[in-house]
Amino acid sequence: MANMKIKASARNGIVKCKVMMKHDMLTYDQAKAKGTEANFITHITAKAGGKVVLDMSTSQFLSKNPLIKFDFSAEGLKAGDMLEMTWTDLSGKTVTESKEIKGL
Amino acid sequence: MERRKFLGLGLTAAAVLPAILNAKDFRAEKPDTWTAQKVDAAIEALYGKITPVEEGVTVQAPKVASNGGAVPVKIKSDIPAKTVAVFQDANPEATVAVFDLSEGGIVDYSIQIKMKASGTITAIVEGKDGKFYLGKQSLEVALGGCEG
Repeated sequence: MANMKIKASARNGIVKCKVMMKHDMLTYDQAKAKGTEANFITHITAKAGGKVVLDMSTSQFLSKNPLIKFDFSAEGLKAGDMLEMTWTDLSGKTVTESKEIKGL
Repeated sequence: MERRKFLGLGLTAAAVLPAILNAKDFRAEKPDTWTAQKVDAAIEALYGKITPVEEGVTVQAPKVASNGGAVPVKIKSDIPAKTVAVFQDANPEATVAVFDLSEGGIVDYSIQIKMKASGTITAIVEGKDGKFYLGKQSLEVALGGCEG
Protein backbone atom coordinates (compact mmCIF):
# COMPACT_ATOMS: atom_id res chain seq x y z
CA MET A 1 0.00 0.00 0.00
CA ALA A 2 1.48 3.24 -1.01
CA ASN A 3 0.39 5.14 1.98
CA MET A 4 3.65 6.82 2.70
CA LYS A 5 6.50 8.09 0.65
CA ILE A 6 9.71 7.63 2.52
CA LYS A 7 13.13 8.86 1.56
CA ALA A 8 16.07 8.30 3.83
CA SER A 9 19.72 8.75 3.00
CA ALA A 10 22.83 8.90 5.11
CA ARG A 11 25.67 11.30 4.56
CA ASN A 12 28.53 12.30 6.87
CA GLY A 13 27.07 10.39 9.79
CA ILE A 14 23.66 11.98 9.58
CA VAL A 15 20.55 10.38 8.15
CA LYS A 16 18.21 12.80 6.43
CA CYS A 17 14.63 11.66 6.09
CA LYS A 18 11.66 12.96 4.21
CA VAL A 19 8.31 11.35 4.78
CA MET A 20 4.99 12.14 3.16
CA MET A 21 1.93 10.53 4.64
CA LYS A 22 -1.38 10.29 2.87
CA HIS A 23 -4.01 11.41 5.29
CA ASP A 24 -6.96 13.77 5.12
CA MET A 25 -6.19 15.35 8.49
CA LEU A 26 -9.76 16.54 9.01
CA THR A 27 -9.89 19.12 11.78
CA TYR A 28 -12.92 19.38 14.02
CA ASP A 29 -14.07 22.45 12.08
CA GLN A 30 -13.68 20.85 8.68
CA ALA A 31 -15.39 17.68 9.83
CA LYS A 32 -18.35 19.67 11.10
CA ALA A 33 -18.71 21.40 7.74
CA LYS A 34 -18.60 18.08 5.93
CA GLY A 35 -20.76 16.29 8.46
CA THR A 36 -18.21 13.61 9.21
CA GLU A 37 -16.01 12.70 12.12
CA ALA A 38 -12.77 14.51 12.68
CA ASN A 39 -9.79 12.32 12.00
CA PHE A 40 -6.15 13.20 12.08
CA ILE A 41 -2.80 11.65 12.82
CA THR A 42 -2.08 11.79 16.52
CA HIS A 43 1.24 10.07 16.78
CA ILE A 44 4.18 9.43 14.46
CA THR A 45 7.08 7.20 15.32
CA ALA A 46 10.15 6.36 13.33
CA LYS A 47 12.56 3.56 14.10
CA ALA A 48 15.91 2.72 12.63
CA GLY A 49 18.06 -0.21 13.65
CA GLY A 50 15.74 -0.97 16.55
CA LYS A 51 16.02 2.52 18.02
CA VAL A 52 13.34 5.17 18.07
CA VAL A 53 14.63 8.14 16.11
CA LEU A 54 11.52 10.28 15.86
CA ASP A 55 8.59 10.42 18.17
CA MET A 56 6.01 13.10 17.77
CA SER A 57 2.55 13.69 19.12
CA THR A 58 0.60 15.80 16.69
CA SER A 59 -2.63 17.74 16.55
CA GLN A 60 -5.06 18.43 13.73
CA PHE A 61 -3.04 21.39 12.52
CA LEU A 62 -0.58 19.46 10.45
CA SER A 63 -1.41 20.02 6.81
CA LYS A 64 -3.34 17.57 4.69
CA ASN A 65 -1.01 14.80 3.54
CA PRO A 66 1.62 16.02 5.98
CA LEU A 67 5.23 16.14 4.92
CA ILE A 68 7.88 15.96 7.59
CA LYS A 69 11.61 16.18 7.35
CA PHE A 70 13.94 15.16 10.11
CA ASP A 71 17.54 14.22 10.73
CA PHE A 72 19.17 11.80 13.10
CA SER A 73 22.61 10.47 13.82
CA ALA A 74 23.63 7.43 11.79
CA GLU A 75 25.73 6.04 14.61
CA GLY A 76 25.36 2.31 15.09
CA LEU A 77 23.47 1.73 11.87
CA LYS A 78 24.71 -0.73 9.29
CA ALA A 79 24.07 -1.15 5.60
CA GLY A 80 20.66 -2.57 4.86
CA ASP A 81 18.99 -1.09 7.94
CA MET A 82 15.45 0.05 7.44
CA LEU A 83 13.63 3.17 8.48
CA GLU A 84 10.33 2.09 9.91
CA MET A 85 7.59 4.70 10.09
CA THR A 86 4.40 4.22 12.04
CA TRP A 87 1.47 6.54 12.45
CA THR A 88 -1.68 6.28 14.48
CA ASP A 89 -4.75 8.37 13.86
CA LEU A 90 -7.69 9.40 15.98
CA SER A 91 -9.84 6.45 14.87
CA GLY A 92 -7.13 4.09 16.09
CA LYS A 93 -5.87 3.07 12.68
CA THR A 94 -2.18 2.31 12.58
CA VAL A 95 -0.06 2.13 9.47
CA THR A 96 3.54 1.01 9.33
CA GLU A 97 5.84 1.16 6.37
CA SER A 98 9.55 0.77 6.02
CA LYS A 99 12.22 1.66 3.54
CA GLU A 100 15.90 0.96 3.35
CA ILE A 101 18.20 3.79 4.36
CA LYS A 102 20.44 4.63 1.46
CA GLY A 103 24.13 5.42 1.66
CA LEU A 104 24.98 3.58 4.86
CA MET B 1 -16.90 0.71 47.06
CA GLU B 2 -14.19 -1.92 46.83
CA ARG B 3 -15.41 -3.16 43.51
CA ARG B 4 -15.64 0.36 42.18
CA LYS B 5 -12.05 1.00 43.06
CA PHE B 6 -10.95 -2.21 41.42
CA LEU B 7 -12.66 -1.29 38.16
CA GLY B 8 -11.06 2.12 38.27
CA LEU B 9 -7.65 0.55 38.62
CA GLY B 10 -8.26 -1.60 35.57
CA LEU B 11 -9.13 1.46 33.53
CA THR B 12 -5.96 3.27 34.55
CA ALA B 13 -3.84 0.30 33.63
CA ALA B 14 -5.45 0.10 30.19
CA ALA B 15 -4.81 3.80 29.64
CA VAL B 16 -1.15 3.50 30.55
CA LEU B 17 -0.42 0.60 28.22
CA PRO B 18 -0.45 2.41 24.85
CA ALA B 19 1.84 5.06 26.29
CA ILE B 20 4.48 2.40 26.76
CA LEU B 21 4.17 1.08 23.22
CA ASN B 22 4.80 4.54 21.84
CA ALA B 23 7.91 5.94 23.44
CA LYS B 24 5.99 8.85 24.90
CA ASP B 25 2.47 9.82 23.99
CA PHE B 26 1.89 13.40 24.98
CA ARG B 27 -1.74 13.09 24.00
CA ALA B 28 -2.39 10.59 26.73
CA GLU B 29 -0.08 12.18 29.24
CA LYS B 30 -1.02 15.82 28.91
CA PRO B 31 -4.53 15.95 27.48
CA ASP B 32 -4.98 19.58 28.52
CA THR B 33 -2.24 20.68 26.17
CA TRP B 34 -4.26 19.74 23.13
CA THR B 35 -7.41 21.58 24.08
CA ALA B 36 -5.78 24.77 25.35
CA GLN B 37 -6.75 27.75 23.25
CA LYS B 38 -3.97 30.14 24.15
CA VAL B 39 -0.28 29.50 23.57
CA ASP B 40 0.57 30.42 27.16
CA ALA B 41 -2.05 28.07 28.54
CA ALA B 42 -0.85 25.25 26.29
CA ILE B 43 2.74 25.74 27.39
CA GLU B 44 1.67 25.72 31.01
CA ALA B 45 -0.34 22.54 30.52
CA LEU B 46 2.62 20.81 28.93
CA TYR B 47 5.58 21.98 30.97
CA GLY B 48 4.10 23.71 33.99
CA LYS B 49 5.03 27.26 34.86
CA ILE B 50 8.22 28.08 33.01
CA THR B 51 10.06 31.15 31.87
CA PRO B 52 11.79 30.27 28.61
CA VAL B 53 14.84 32.15 27.40
CA GLU B 54 14.40 33.58 23.94
CA GLU B 55 17.56 32.32 22.27
CA GLY B 56 19.10 29.43 20.42
CA VAL B 57 15.97 28.29 18.63
CA THR B 58 15.32 29.16 15.01
CA VAL B 59 11.85 29.01 13.56
CA GLN B 60 11.81 29.44 9.82
CA ALA B 61 8.62 30.21 7.98
CA PRO B 62 7.74 32.35 4.98
CA LYS B 63 6.88 35.97 5.79
CA VAL B 64 3.76 35.66 3.69
CA ALA B 65 2.24 32.24 3.21
CA SER B 66 0.04 32.03 0.14
CA ASN B 67 -1.69 28.85 1.25
CA GLY B 68 -2.65 28.52 4.90
CA GLY B 69 -3.41 24.86 4.33
CA ALA B 70 0.26 23.97 4.25
CA VAL B 71 2.64 26.46 5.76
CA PRO B 72 6.18 25.10 5.74
CA VAL B 73 7.84 25.58 9.10
CA LYS B 74 11.39 24.66 10.00
CA ILE B 75 12.58 24.36 13.56
CA LYS B 76 16.26 24.24 14.23
CA SER B 77 18.38 24.35 17.34
CA ASP B 78 21.84 23.29 18.46
CA ILE B 79 20.75 22.88 22.07
CA PRO B 80 20.84 19.27 23.29
CA ALA B 81 17.12 18.82 23.73
CA LYS B 82 14.74 16.49 25.49
CA THR B 83 11.51 17.70 23.93
CA VAL B 84 10.43 20.25 21.36
CA ALA B 85 6.94 21.72 21.21
CA VAL B 86 5.38 23.79 18.45
CA PHE B 87 2.49 26.20 19.00
CA GLN B 88 0.68 28.83 16.98
CA ASP B 89 -1.97 31.39 17.88
CA ALA B 90 -4.16 31.52 14.75
CA ASN B 91 -6.17 28.32 15.15
CA PRO B 92 -8.85 27.42 17.69
CA GLU B 93 -6.36 25.33 19.64
CA ALA B 94 -2.76 26.28 20.14
CA THR B 95 -0.70 23.10 20.08
CA VAL B 96 0.59 21.74 16.76
CA ALA B 97 3.06 19.04 17.69
CA VAL B 98 5.30 17.81 20.44
CA PHE B 99 8.51 15.98 19.58
CA ASP B 100 10.18 13.65 22.01
CA LEU B 101 13.85 13.32 21.24
CA SER B 102 15.78 10.14 21.68
CA GLU B 103 19.53 9.80 21.90
CA GLY B 104 21.25 11.04 18.78
CA GLY B 105 18.23 13.11 17.90
CA ILE B 106 18.92 16.34 16.08
CA VAL B 107 16.58 19.31 16.36
CA ASP B 108 16.10 20.00 12.67
CA TYR B 109 12.48 19.43 11.77
CA SER B 110 10.42 20.61 8.85
CA ILE B 111 6.69 20.23 9.06
CA GLN B 112 3.73 21.68 7.23
CA ILE B 113 0.99 23.17 9.32
CA LYS B 114 -2.44 24.65 8.82
CA MET B 115 -3.10 28.22 9.81
CA LYS B 116 -6.49 29.82 9.78
CA ALA B 117 -5.19 33.39 9.84
CA SER B 118 -2.02 35.39 10.26
CA GLY B 119 -0.28 34.65 13.50
CA THR B 120 2.85 33.69 15.34
CA ILE B 121 4.50 30.30 15.49
CA THR B 122 6.24 29.58 18.78
CA ALA B 123 8.67 26.75 19.35
CA ILE B 124 9.84 25.71 22.79
CA VAL B 125 12.89 23.53 23.31
CA GLU B 126 13.32 21.75 26.60
CA GLY B 127 17.05 21.39 27.01
CA LYS B 128 18.78 18.49 28.69
CA ASP B 129 20.02 21.04 31.24
CA GLY B 130 16.43 21.56 32.37
CA LYS B 131 16.16 25.03 30.89
CA PHE B 132 13.64 26.13 28.32
CA TYR B 133 14.42 27.98 25.13
CA LEU B 134 12.02 29.73 22.84
CA GLY B 135 11.91 30.77 19.21
CA LYS B 136 9.24 32.75 17.44
CA GLN B 137 8.24 33.69 13.93
CA SER B 138 5.31 35.82 12.87
CA LEU B 139 3.83 35.44 9.45
CA GLU B 140 0.94 36.56 7.33
CA VAL B 141 -1.42 34.08 5.80
CA ALA B 142 -3.08 35.11 2.56
CA LEU B 143 -5.62 32.31 2.43
CA GLY B 144 -6.75 30.59 5.60
CA GLY B 145 -6.21 26.87 5.75
CA CYS B 146 -8.88 25.61 8.09
CA GLU B 147 -11.80 26.19 5.75
CA GLY B 148 -13.94 27.83 8.38
